[in-house]
Amino acid sequence: MGFFDSLAQWLGVKKKEVNVLVVGLDNSGKSTIINHFKSPELKSHEIVPTVGFNVEKFKSKALAFTALDMSGQGRYRNLWEQYYKECDGIIFVIDSSDKLRMVVAKDELDLLLQHSELNNKRIPILFFANKMDARDSVSSVKCSHLMGLETLRDKPWHICASNALTGDGLHEGVDWLTDQLKDVLEKKSRKK
Amino acid sequence: MRDLFVYFHISFETNHSLSPSFVGFPPCPTHNQIGPSWGIFTLAIIPRDDEISALYYIFFIKVKLEKLATIKEGKNDKWLDAYHDPVASIYTFTQCLTLSDIQADGDWKLIVADLGTGTYDMKLKVYKNTTLMSEHTIIDLPTGVVTFYMDTHEPRTPAIAVASGPYIYVYKNLRPYFKFTLPPLNIHPLEEDLWNQAKDDQVNVYSMREMLENLRQEGCSLTVRSLRLLQLESGHTVITCLDTMKKSVADEDAISCLVLGTESKSIYILDPEAFTVLATMDLPSVPVFISVNGMFDVDYRIVVSCRNGCVYTLKRGSKDVGKHMIELNSQPVGMQRINKNIYVGCMDETLHCFTSKGKKLWTVRLPASITTIEIIDYKPRSFSAVLVALSNQEVHIYKEKFLVDIIKMDDTVTGLKFGRFGREDGTLVMTTKRGGLYVKILKRTAKFEEKALSAGPPVAQNQKLNVPKKTKLFVDQTQRERENAVAMHRTFQRDLAHLRLKVMREYVKALDNSMNPISSDPMEPLKLSAHVQGIGPTFKFTVKLQNTSLSQASSNLLITFDYDNKLYDFRKKLIQVPMLVPGLTYDFETFVDCLNDKGIAENVKVYVLKQGKSVPLITGVVSMPVSESIVVV
Repeated sequence: MGFFDSLAQWLGVKKKEVNVLVVGLDNSGKSTIINHFKSPELKSHEIVPTVGFNVEKFKSKALAFTALDMSGQGRYRNLWEQYYKECDGIIFVIDSSDKLRMVVAKDELDLLLQHSELNNKRIPILFFANKMDARDSVSSVKCSHLMGLETLRDKPWHICASNALTGDGLHEGVDWLTDQLKDVLEKKSRKK
Repeated sequence: MRDLFVYFHISFETNHSLSPSFVGFPPCPTHNQIGPSWGIFTLAIIPRDDEISALYYIFFIKVKLEKLATIKEGKNDKWLDAYHDPVASIYTFTQCLTLSDIQADGDWKLIVADLGTGTYDMKLKVYKNTTLMSEHTIIDLPTGVVTFYMDTHEPRTPAIAVASGPYIYVYKNLRPYFKFTLPPLNIHPLEEDLWNQAKDDQVNVYSMREMLENLRQEGCSLTVRSLRLLQLESGHTVITCLDTMKKSVADEDAISCLVLGTESKSIYILDPEAFTVLATMDLPSVPVFISVNGMFDVDYRIVVSCRNGCVYTLKRGSKDVGKHMIELNSQPVGMQRINKNIYVGCMDETLHCFTSKGKKLWTVRLPASITTIEIIDYKPRSFSAVLVALSNQEVHIYKEKFLVDIIKMDDTVTGLKFGRFGREDGTLVMTTKRGGLYVKILKRTAKFEEKALSAGPPVAQNQKLNVPKKTKLFVDQTQRERENAVAMHRTFQRDLAHLRLKVMREYVKALDNSMNPISSDPMEPLKLSAHVQGIGPTFKFTVKLQNTSLSQASSNLLITFDYDNKLYDFRKKLIQVPMLVPGLTYDFETFVDCLNDKGIAENVKVYVLKQGKSVPLITGVVSMPVSESIVVV
């Protein structure tokens, strides 16, 4: 970073940048959630299945997020691990109305947590139990139980029910993630 | 993954350049299901100068029990358990299960024709992602369910066809749409005559009955009415199997024709738009399982397995069914086709694979009888396999003739379907005998290796060995071998015989003197080992004694030492041994002082004696280390 950049950050004018990886099964609502946070002029009107991944930037309170919105389709899921090294936080989106594939989401989460890049990092994970408005959706508590989150101890995590179409629950989740990431960044700058 | 180590270690002690001491074999754990395969040890003798030295080679063999071990534990690393409902009350079989996107919304549904109890409660159920979406009652027992595209209206939603009795019920958008009836059979002229006479009251009921009975015995199929008169079961022709065939275009959502087999030994092909019979084919026997390939307008093949134990192939335009006929040794219980291979499961617990020409490729024997067969054709990973459900509550997956996976279930599986369910591609839906519904999803990281579970040469055998190049020395040595072949052989054999003799002599001597640390007397099973600690002039001498029997305790034992008393002084010259409990190792210590400071070290013998015997039971020889000089302060 250049001199003026560091000066700006020190002064608090320029926001700190964080990289966040948005993952989850296909049709869970990742792109819709990220779309909600974009500024009104950048918002897309129609969300189509993501191919590969999309890079989106948005600001929230004190941080500037660079979100990597990965595709959740089976054939693109092995792309996720390419980006584990660079991310500071993870947003995992679960379709709470798809009980059949909850076990697949759990399997993907297990693979993610066991990956060598993430195994030892104390990285915060935010879970969205999306589509809470669906008729037979599962509550966030039951969702966390089905995903086996009570065994996840070495990383800070938080789950909240959300409705990506209306935006319910999204800010609560991202606020938690922002606080977590600010702590991490402070610790890093203190170490330096 | 569990590794089973099997090893033995042998070394010998004599007064010559070989140094052995019998240690013995550790007990080897055995597994009930898998026997360990034992390692090999070989003896190699390399002539070194003029002396014979022996090098004993010991091979360690590791037996990997990975795959079988995990399967025995009940965990499967290829399938995820997505849904299980043991009380779903679905009684059905493979032909009445299908997966299809009937609402064209990307969410594929499971369509089940439930047989209920067999006499009532027959229903057509549609499941959307683990919940029942709709139910329709069916009047008669269903024998097959398929989905097919009837028309080209947008959105492209397929219709469901259920074969039941002589009717096909077609549902569109989950509502009854059409009911197709099989065309009536041709009436035998005599029979027709008889009925006309009966209409005019010209014939007696009894004589009519006799005439009809005669007709029946001659082998003509009678109409429903005649059969009812004869008080026989109304055997109106029933549809036995159902499949679809693309009409003119091979697209996924192109219009398909229905192909059905009936009890009257014929196959009908129906047009989807008008439900007219496009073609009829006759078979020598009643068709049971059907598999269709091709397009009606271009060319097609219909493979049918019949009740007479034969598999026939029908071609477009050809009436000859005898060509490429496969005759089976026992009745077929399932038939599926992948590309050009026909897989047939038979009642004699075998699975056969035939080419489309009828040649048998392979046969596999199964551990239990087959309940149903289904194919996996997973295009994203180009994986094709055959699923065989057995009566021992397992489902075996065969890729070619190799068993690549076993899924253990709680109940016998009667219906299997692999395909897209919900939004997930690799889903396996299973219905069981007791009415349960189970859904498993294939893991993204699952790898199906051939030969994973079958015994055969290990993979390492296929690796090329790095053989070094020929050198001049090698060539010279080969030359020498060729010239002196006889002499070399003679010398070698003579030396080998000498070695054997020497070894045997020493062994006998050791046994006689009870010189070995393992007792050969079955009445006193003991094992001795000794070691010395310290740098001198005082050493700590520890004797470890172990009772190696399983149940017998040893008693009345004494330990004593034989040493040069000018060199060493043992503080405890005789140790009384308490009763030895089997299995435990007992330590006995004593201190040894070295009296000589000239740095000489000698061997000390340890004897274990039993009261009443003049020969020691076991002996150990310990070479004492060189002691440090006595420090005079």
